[in-house]
Amino acid sequence: MAIGKAISRVEAGDKVTGAARYTEDVRVAETAHAVLLGSAISAGRVRGIDTRRAERAPGVLAVITHLNRPDFAAVPPTPYTAEGRMPLVDDRIHYAGQYIAVVVAETREQAEHAATLVVVDYHRTSPVPTLDAALSQAYIPRENGLARVPSEYRRGNAEAALAAAPVRVEEEYRTAALSHAPIEPSSTLAYWEGDRLTIYDSTQSVHMHRPLVAIAFGVPEDRVRMYCSLVGGGFGNKSYSWPHVFLAPMAARVVRRPVRVTISRKQVFTGTGHMAATVQTVRLGADQDGRLRALIHDSVNQTSFIDDRQETASAITPYVYAVPDLYARIRVTKVNTGTGGAMRTPGDSAGAFALESALDELAHRLGMDPLELRRRNHADVDPVSGRPWSGKQLLACYDQAAERFGWDRRNPEPGSARDGDDLIGYGMAGGQRTEHQRPAQATVDLTDDGTAVIRSSMVEIGGGGLTTLSQIAADGLGLPTAAVTFQHGDSALPAAAPTFGSMTSGSTGSAVKLAAADALRAAIDLAVGDRRSPLHGADPDDVVAHEGGLRLRDRPGDGESYRALLRRNRINTLRGDGDFQPEGEDAEHAMATFGVHFTEVRINRYLPRVRVVRHVAAFSIGRVLNAKTARNQAQGGIIMRLGAALMENQRPDPVSGRFISPALTDYHVPVNADIGEIDVIFVEEPDTNANPLGARGLGEICAVGICASVANAVHHATGKRVRSLPITPDKLL
Amino acid sequence: MRPFTYLRAPDVATAVRAISAEPGAKFIGGGTNLVDLLREDIEQPGTVIDITGLPLTGVEELPDGGIRIGALVRNSHLAAHRLVTTRYPMLSQAILSGASPQLRNMATTGGNLLQRTRCLYFYDGAAACNKREPGSGCDAIGGFNRQHGVLGVSDDCLATHPSDMCVALAALDATVETRSEHGVRRIPLVDLHRLPGTTPHRETVLAADELITAIELPPPPSGAVSRYRKVRDRASYAFALVSVAAVLKVRDGSVSTVRLALGGVAPKPWRAYAAERALLAAPATEESFTRAAEAELTAATARPGNAFKIELARRTIVATLRDLLAEGSAA
Repeated sequence: MAIGKAISRVEAGDKVTGAARYTEDVRVAETAHAVLLGSAISAGRVRGIDTRRAERAPGVLAVITHLNRPDFAAVPPTPYTAEGRMPLVDDRIHYAGQYIAVVVAETREQAEHAATLVVVDYHRTSPVPTLDAALSQAYIPRENGLARVPSEYRRGNAEAALAAAPVRVEEEYRTAALSHAPIEPSSTLAYWEGDRLTIYDSTQSVHMHRPLVAIAFGVPEDRVRMYCSLVGGGFGNKSYSWPHVFLAPMAARVVRRPVRVTISRKQVFTGTGHMAATVQTVRLGADQDGRLRALIHDSVNQTSFIDDRQETASAITPYVYAVPDLYARIRVTKVNTGTGGAMRTPGDSAGAFALESALDELAHRLGMDPLELRRRNHADVDPVSGRPWSGKQLLACYDQAAERFGWDRRNPEPGSARDGDDLIGYGMAGGQRTEHQRPAQATVDLTDDGTAVIRSSMVEIGGGGLTTLSQIAADGLGLPTAAVTFQHGDSALPAAAPTFGSMTSGSTGSAVKLAAADALRAAIDLAVGDRRSPLHGADPDDVVAHEGGLRLRDRPGDGESYRALLRRNRINTLRGDGDFQPEGEDAEHAMATFGVHFTEVRINRYLPRVRVVRHVAAFSIGRVLNAKTARNQAQGGIIMRLGAALMENQRPDPVSGRFISPALTDYHVPVNADIGEIDVIFVEEPDTNANPLGARGLGEICAVGICASVANAVHHATGKRVRSLPITPDKLL
Repeated sequence: MRPFTYLRAPDVATAVRAISAEPGAKFIGGGTNLVDLLREDIEQPGTVIDITGLPLTGVEELPDGGIRIGALVRNSHLAAHRLVTTRYPMLSQAILSGASPQLRNMATTGGNLLQRTRCLYFYDGAAACNKREPGSGCDAIGGFNRQHGVLGVSDDCLATHPSDMCVALAALDATVETRSEHGVRRIPLVDLHRLPGTTPHRETVLAADELITAIELPPPPSGAVSRYRKVRDRASYAFALVSVAAVLKVRDGSVSTVRLALGGVAPKPWRAYAAERALLAAPATEESFTRAAEAELTAATARPGNAFKIELARRTIVATLRDLLAEGSAA
């Protein structure tokens, strides 16, 4: 079996040697370079924009503003068009950094220089700079393409149940705005040949984004070909088409040449979204024995003046614990900031900080072990629909991770564990993520040299999909993984599920499995019908794939290689088609992924910077496709959220609303020295209720619950409850 | 970035002559700060004079037991130099706690002295900044000022000096040597940087045509122990919230030698003279350390965002001295 094996990524060698080709590495003759000029103010209008000096600067081909831009044919639909307002459509400014001019020149340096020569006359209006300034204006967004989930959910009467509960916790929790901070700034290269558009774009899904570009420019979708083979870090910010994606083809039309736009490092922070800051309140009511009676989870997030985009912090709450009376609400409020985007893990990461912190507070108040509190409220079935889970090994996750961590050594008394000047804290928290599936297509070609080729438009964003899907095809055809190659990242290929929302394993993986099975079936049919084959006349159901060919299940000696079979029949390739269609709403089962985190922190009692020295997590994700890439992905997700717990904060200036730390020097993410030991356990059980492959997603569940686990450990170490992220040293003085 | 003229100076005399002839020209050494500022359009020199070819790359022993460090010695080289690791380990610690290995490989000693603040408003071209644009105001004052200074700041500027190395140099009584067409000048490091007052754009006492050629350190106080301690938001690659460079010698239970400098809290590497006065001849106890820290910090002024730095500075001073006391007693 190739599936499950801990093999290295198939593209690892190319990445290490620099041979891997990212969007910015694509070279097309005659390419001009565009630089995007962002607004210096966060609210107002462009009263005047003088581009004359810029136009005369060396190498400049065009300066495009709202005054001279070509029209877009239409506004493509949300949510995957990131902003509901097309760039440069008018003189209005909604956030700092909003693009107000495109400078196109022969070289990027010339374009950058010319951009410094554009003189903008702003009409400033008073901005709403921060979430706090807008909090009193929070509202429930109207249902549109951007409000992705219902804004309210109610079961029973949570207010009455809360009032009647003998033990209550009612607290406010805050999460900071976060940047995806990928290493690869987004890049788009576009050129026109008549009305045919070719576009290389750092996108997490060529098939989701191609139609958006086609609509914006009024050309049939089949005239647009979009490529993206590798993304250098997405985390959700490349799951939308941001304004620069539309400005590249526009500029290419204006200058009649290929045009590349690579946004600057600063623009990564303002031009491709962020996780919106939230203010949440959680109100818990429980019996003395810890059984939850009521749960109210209310969240408000900042959104832009352009769009109502939810950070769906309380969306998962109704599904997590067996609470009879529950109310969850998501509101938004307008701030002069860019529109937020989905960031690993949308809604759930921020929401889990509040919910799982509140549970820890409740456990402390009850004098109960926090893990036991969660066990007592375990949801045996989906509390929303009453359906059984397709697969859930959360209790086993609790047991295995707690044992590996040594949770039973924890003295519940805060401040009780010390080592020299270090205060030691143990904390834990749970996580849950609804499992999403999308239709996905792939083909698998069996070739006459005995290898196989997967064809599917999947984009590799670093999660390991190229490797795991190759393993799936290898298993389906009885080939070594090294005999499988993958054509991907091209809209001319069969449509993969997008590489976001944890859908690669379950959806595209299932399509590959079906395609491999189809190819195998074609090979078997060919063999049993071929008089020259040793398998001639066999019952197709008795024939299996084995070591590069076919054989009888019960008589291993009888068989032949694919190579012999195809060559004898003068067939170059046998194509198998895979078309995965999720069951959707009618499914018998509720689907989710589950996890639990245990964290040890050490904090110097005089100089209190929190160090996470040890973290143990366990996940229930069905079948694990590759033990190495899975562990690697889970560690990455955990580290990403340790950053949110301890240091990350995309902070607006409280007066102007501008993000004031748009640089990796100032926007802190964890560095190697911040990372302690991270141990990951998978409680495996193939989940064929979810899909034919039995695998659910990992990329997002691994990043849910970490912040609360850290905050709970900090409380255990110090007795201080920090309800506002990130937990920086000043909050512990 | 705007176009500029690039010159390469073959020797010190030519470098000094070139900068005298070109008002607004800048020297470039490792470029780790200037290139960044050029790209951000904060520095806009018409001419950049590359001085990396000048023969200022040596670390030499001086007859009095001190050392002389060429202005173009790279930070990583200096931190690893035997004369530094053996005689001034605190200087090595300070350098290694700053930036990243890649930056330290490029950054020069002279450039480190002149690196400009990492104030977020200084770096934000759309913000008001008296340092960047004299008279335009200071958006840090009503803004996000968690990183900003509590000692020596003014109503026109709250920015801190970002260097770690300079904090150790301040505690080590370093002297800066410069050359200009007017000759050689020697400036105590503690006098090199100005306080902002009403002219925060004037950051040092150097004239526009002056080139830093070397730094000299007197011999370390014999029998003293020293340490650089840096407190920041993450384990590495972050500017100091507070840092402390401390040299301590205790004789018969009393402080006989002490030198103390602070980083991350002031517009210049901050020699804590008030704390030193309070400590000298005082019993080497936690109470004395606390009193000394408080003596220095009574002059501190905080804004809403950075009030914590006063308490953090107090704790960092005390913790560093406490550790040195233990180390000195063990030795």
